[in-house]
Amino acid sequence: MNKIVEAEKEGRQILDQTSKEISELKRDVPNRIASMRQDILQKATKRRESALADAEKTGAEEAKRISLESKKQLDSISRIPSAKRRQAVDRAIELLLS
Amino acid sequence: MSGGLDKLVDDIVRESRTRAEEIRKDGLAQVEDRIAGARAEATREADQITRNLRTECEAVVNRRVSQEKQKARLAYLAEKNRILSDVMKDVQARLLEFCRNDSSYRPFLLKSIAQGIDAIPSDRVKVALSEKDIRRYKGTKLLTDALSTMDTTKTAVLSELPLETTGGAVVASEDDKVRVDCTLEARLELTKPQLLAEISKILFPS
Repeated sequence: MNKIVEAEKEGRQILDQTSKEISELKRDVPNRIASMRQDILQKATKRRESALADAEKTGAEEAKRISLESKKQLDSISRIPSAKRRQAVDRAIELLLS
Repeated sequence: MSGGLDKLVDDIVRESRTRAEEIRKDGLAQVEDRIAGARAEATREADQITRNLRTECEAVVNRRVSQEKQKARLAYLAEKNRILSDVMKDVQARLLEFCRNDSSYRPFLLKSIAQGIDAIPSDRVKVALSEKDIRRYKGTKLLTDALSTMDTTKTAVLSELPLETTGGAVVASEDDKVRVDCTLEARLELTKPQLLAEISKILFPS
């Protein structure tokens, strides 16, 4: 009779121990979820920031190229040959006095 | 008797172990389910963050490029305007020279006066000139010569009041109700858009 009581006691202990382990696992779930969620969102945010930084860099390089082109264009229109300038003045006078 | 008891004891313990295994399996499945659900939700949110990334990146590049293009365009237009303004100053300087040269200026002045007289619907007209031209042409046959170039019976008198002008004339009816401005400044103002277009065509051919 004693052996049966002991066996039932051992059986209860096994069940209690398992229930306790599972409860602990469940209790830890919110922490695991929060950590996993943070990890996933952080990676996405990092990917976004890195892509935007690359785009800024590309934009800045393109802007620099446009700026250099613009400077060349300005230099070229600033160096008008005096003969051409005289031709423009002559044409204006001709129109004005006609 | 003892063998039967031992078997009973073993059965009790085995049953507990089996039940414990079921509880563990169920518990673990629940935990995994919750984690998988949360992972799917976090992944959806992460996708949302990166969903429009290509469009955002293109917008960043396009914004920088269009800002620079706008800046370049404004700088180009400012330089072009500066050059045009300089050329217009040259034109004005050339006009001053033109007015000092009597052989070219007098025919122009005669033509301007004749145009003015022609445009005034009055028999008697007044012709106003700059102070310099009044001094230069007073007592000369300037008005007679101007009238002689036209088929008209109109008469013209020289106004004593000088004009603020580089050259040319202002013709008015006797009562001053009608005035025709034939000065160089008026011509310059009137033809400025055309002059700028012509100058641009020569200086900035595209």
